[in-house]
Amino acid sequence: MELTRQELARTAQAAIAEVLGTDPGAINDHTDLQAEYDIDSLELMAVGAQLERTLDIQIEVEDLLKAETVGQAIDMLADRLATRA
Amino acid sequence: MSAPERTRVAITGMGVKSPAGNSVDEAYTTIMSAKSAATTVDELVAENAPVRFACMVPDFPMDGYVSLRERRQIDRGTQLALCAAADAVRDADLPTTLPAERVGVHLGTGIGGLTSMEATALNHGDDPAGIPVHTVPRTMANSAAARVAMRYGFQGSCTTYATACASGTTAIGEAARRIRYGELDAVVAGGFDSAITTIMVAGFARMRALSTRNDAPWSASRPFDAERDGFVLAEGAAMMVLERWDAAAARGARIYGEVAGYAANADAFNIVAPLADGAVAARCMALAIADAGLGPADIGHINAHGTSTRSNDSAEAAAISRCFGATAPPVTSVKGVTGHLIGGSGALEACVALVCAERGVVPPVANLADGDEFDFLDIVTGVPRAVPTAPALSNSFGFGGQNACLVLTPALWNS
Repeated sequence: MELTRQELARTAQAAIAEVLGTDPGAINDHTDLQAEYDIDSLELMAVGAQLERTLDIQIEVEDLLKAETVGQAIDMLADRLATRA
Repeated sequence: MSAPERTRVAITGMGVKSPAGNSVDEAYTTIMSAKSAATTVDELVAENAPVRFACMVPDFPMDGYVSLRERRQIDRGTQLALCAAADAVRDADLPTTLPAERVGVHLGTGIGGLTSMEATALNHGDDPAGIPVHTVPRTMANSAAARVAMRYGFQGSCTTYATACASGTTAIGEAARRIRYGELDAVVAGGFDSAITTIMVAGFARMRALSTRNDAPWSASRPFDAERDGFVLAEGAAMMVLERWDAAAARGARIYGEVAGYAANADAFNIVAPLADGAVAARCMALAIADAGLGPADIGHINAHGTSTRSNDSAEAAAISRCFGATAPPVTSVKGVTGHLIGGSGALEACVALVCAERGVVPPVANLADGDEFDFLDIVTGVPRAVPTAPALSNSFGFGGQNACLVLTPALWNS
């Protein structure tokens, strides 16, 4: 079953919120994890690991590092899921 | 030319998260009541552990200490260490103008992240590639010290000592030396451990180090008692803030007392059993007292390691009488109440010994009715004993034959 972008966003927000110990509602497409949360590379890898498990795709931390906002990361994930399908 | 006066080391902050209470005052009160903190642990019962009780740190709200974000990256031992360190730093009210590179963190742990790695192995053993990203930073033994340094930006030496059950005492003594040596102006020093899991309990029980009084946990830890049958595993953390005495005095800090003496040596005899005649441990006590510039007669009371194992308590009693002769001061062990915090025990006992020394009260040993050591030592039982305000000796002896002793002098005492 294909995830809608909104469903994918919710999944990503939940994974990020879990790692950052915050409310998923605090994370949106415009959130800049580096600037706003000072996220470090291990935390980003923990987010990636959780999404890999949930979405059953491979995610390199470099891909996540390229995204400047959560929205860009979700777009990247959507592309990845589309190519897989 | 006379020798230059040695740098004195002031204790300006203390923080405790222990089975006897989550502040120094709370722990002091519980210890004075001589009521054991040991209770049955549901998890140990459920997992059919050979010993099903321990001394746990009472629940307290961790939100004010450690964020959810940080909590998911660290284990309980590190959490307790961070909380106790935060209390100690707040208590010391360290000035923000201290140069970061002159403040260090020196902690001791006997078990470190072993239990975290145990959980990882049990939960992810069939999928090693999927283990949590933070597994290594969570389990490394220096995790807690690094976290304390990171939190406050302390950039002086950050070191973790492993001398088993003596680790907390080692850390405080070695930290004091850094100040004396001129390397640091202030140090967060102490110890911690949290290792109450079925595997750890089974490990200690397998070598018959633990009391097996599953039907009466509260009576299990009975240091120096004739019926003792092993120690009671406990968890917890205790921290001190040490400062150069002159700097602490100049800033008007409240000074509890002084780490006046420290010594460490090794039995070099057996991997777990102490040397029965206590000769090396006695030398360690004597060296610590001499390091403080004192004699045995200056010591007002002894906070013994007193684990409630047959061999520790008899060897320690022999060591005390070897060091002090027929005139040993009153002896206590708080482990009848607190159980054995492993790496946390020496640090907790240093805090308690200092407060007792200052208030001139020695706590009674819990569950102690009678024992062979009574014949030659003045072990406090029943009710607290009033003593003159005077320096205290705090002993710690770890598996591996690691001996460490501290002399803690209350600020009120004048030699």
